Amino acid sequence: MSNHNWNSPEAAKRIAQRHASERRFKLLGLGAIALSLSFLALLLFIMLRNGLGGLDWAFLSGSDSTNASVAGIWGAAKGSLLTMLVTLLLSFPMGVLSAIYLEEFAPRSRWIEWVEVSINNLAAVPSIIFGLLGLAVFINTLHLPRSSPLVGGLTLALMTFPVIVISGRNAIKAVPPSIRDAALAVGASKVQAVFHHVLPLALPGILTGTIIGMARALGETAPLLMIGMRAFIVTPPGGITDPSSVLPMQIFLWSDEIDKAFVQNTSAAIIVLLVFLLLMNGIAIYLRNKFEVRW
Amino acid sequence: MILTAVLLAVLGLSLVGWFAARGRARLLYKGRASMHSMPAYHGWHMALWIFVPALLCWVVWSAIMPGLVDGAVMADPVAASLPADEMQRSAILAEAKAIAHDPFAVAFNPQARNLAEPIKAAETRFGFIGALLVLIAALAGGGYGFTRIRAGFPARNRVEQGVMALLLAASLMAILTTFGIVASLVFEAGLFFKDVSPIAFLTGTHWSPASTMGDNINDNFGAVPLFWGTIYIGAIIAMVVAIPLGLMSAIYLTQYASSTVRKWLKPMLEILAGVPTVVYGYFAALTVAPMIRDFAASLGVPNPSTESALAAGLVMGVMIIPFVSSMADDALAAVPRAMSDGSLALGATRSETIKKVLLPAALPGIVAGIMLAVSRAIGETMIVVMAAGAAARLSANPLSSMTTVTYQIVQMLTGDQEFNSPKTLSAFALGLVLFIVTLILNIIALRVVKRFREAYE
Repeated sequence: MSNHNWNSPEAAKRIAQRHASERRFKLLGLGAIALSLSFLALLLFIMLRNGLGGLDWAFLSGSDSTNASVAGIWGAAKGSLLTMLVTLLLSFPMGVLSAIYLEEFAPRSRWIEWVEVSINNLAAVPSIIFGLLGLAVFINTLHLPRSSPLVGGLTLALMTFPVIVISGRNAIKAVPPSIRDAALAVGASKVQAVFHHVLPLALPGILTGTIIGMARALGETAPLLMIGMRAFIVTPPGGITDPSSVLPMQIFLWSDEIDKAFVQNTSAAIIVLLVFLLLMNGIAIYLRNKFEVRW
Repeated sequence: MILTAVLLAVLGLSLVGWFAARGRARLLYKGRASMHSMPAYHGWHMALWIFVPALLCWVVWSAIMPGLVDGAVMADPVAASLPADEMQRSAILAEAKAIAHDPFAVAFNPQARNLAEPIKAAETRFGFIGALLVLIAALAGGGYGFTRIRAGFPARNRVEQGVMALLLAASLMAILTTFGIVASLVFEAGLFFKDVSPIAFLTGTHWSPASTMGDNINDNFGAVPLFWGTIYIGAIIAMVVAIPLGLMSAIYLTQYASSTVRKWLKPMLEILAGVPTVVYGYFAALTVAPMIRDFAASLGVPNPSTESALAAGLVMGVMIIPFVSSMADDALAAVPRAMSDGSLALGATRSETIKKVLLPAALPGIVAGIMLAVSRAIGETMIVVMAAGAAARLSANPLSSMTTVTYQIVQMLTGDQEFNSPKTLSAFALGLVLFIVTLILNIIALRVVKRFREAYE
């Protein structure tokens, strides 16, 4: 190729072709993102168009009803709140303690390897399988009250637990060893070094992961379907053992109604749910940006 | 009720114990190095000694109390008139318990009302005994803890041992959950396979569990159409949408976009992954499915159905895009920079570098990411429940309605039928298959990712 002439018309044409293909490829990438995002925009637009008209105080404070015009979401929202409370109270301490153990104390043994494999796999198990577990264990074996926030929260806690462990481990791993060494050097015990110094520094990261895990649990429907949280419930639950519904389940139940008037209710409930999720994710991002320390 | 109250009381006692022990330990302080542990550790040591024995006692009592109550009620003269049949008796007992807790509960058996009083009495009595036992355990533990407070007592080491035990217990939770999943699925599926042969289940092509009255029950539980529907929707249609879009998005974001653009586009793309599946399902049923039906009608398809595999698969694909994109992102980032720099230095354009160097080098990571995406898609439930339909058929026509494993699990378990029928149990058998398949996909994918990372390190 030594006699190649870069100024020949053939070479110029070839270079032009290659540049054109470069531009096409770049446009293709941009197009892929644009297409994905336009799908999201379409989804949001349709929900807003159908649902905004139905968002008023009566809708936010009412409970489920067979009449679309008086049906509201407070009952389901309260059920979601109670369920999330149970989930958080169980999965957060368990997840954080587990992450601390695996990252800071665990000896290299076959048992610990099993724990790690379990956690990685649990994070990828389909959510409906957790529903089957909840049905078989909490309802059929332990006879806990069906369709209650207690059982729903327990089931979702098992699902959220691995998410918190994985994000917790990453947050703890990100704390530099010099922090531990400094604490140990001035006479702190290993437990003191971890709980007084490493954990506070890792906490923003752990909280971010927890909020993201909770947001996922809040939007989850399939496992709750398994444990019977699909009953028609007119009175908001008073406690964690009362039968109740949750927001995504209310959306599912309304979407099944034949009455066209429920389209507005369903879309309005979706808007409420999405607002909650956006808020939670927003808080998570804020926490991450505000407290994240670059070592 | 009283048991919940006593648990709160124990918590209060622990708090009191904490302050009492710390106060006493402070009195022992006689200057530097006069004590082994700081006073607060004596407080923790005391609080643990109050709380842990009481909690153990509480758990044990809560587990055995229902049995004790039943026994006491059965011994009551009112219970003598109950029917001897085990099923009827437990039904009446359940109703009586509901009345005992809520006087306005409805009962279909007149006997239940008479039983409510003895049940209430027995529950109060045993609740009281239990509360007493728990309190005794708390006080005994606290008493022991209090006698330990001495200057030389290694309270910190003891507390730290307790903390370690707690940490270990928390991490065993993961194994327990996995074990729980496997045990419950295998157990219930085992009951199902007692009635239906596994071979017929895995290879039969006729699925109509509603008609269990047929001559041979094996003929009604052929799950192949469900497997096909699952693969067709989750692994074919959804991936046809998700792989090109996700991969191209990742390439654009990592190779072309400026950091400002990436900072905005990436979170927006991730919103797609954060939208709950029930919202996607509703969107599929409300908007996408009618669009596809109209499109099919305009093509001249006779009687297109509203529920179609295409609608469900399409929406599922969109849901998976950010997942594929972030996995591809990781895989591309793991390729050493020297490789693409070398290609660019030789005069290749960016797109040529991506196609000929980056993608082949990142291929194992991308394939593993796609496997994880498939495992997520086939386990997805709400979209197919709301948009794919109930018809179990072996068809390659994307416009026809099709059913999946997850759809059938929901279908089998949400009706009003007795729990131990083959119909309900089949849901656990399907769940077991789903669990095993996703597990295998995940394990292989994680292995590949790990090996792939090591190859470039």
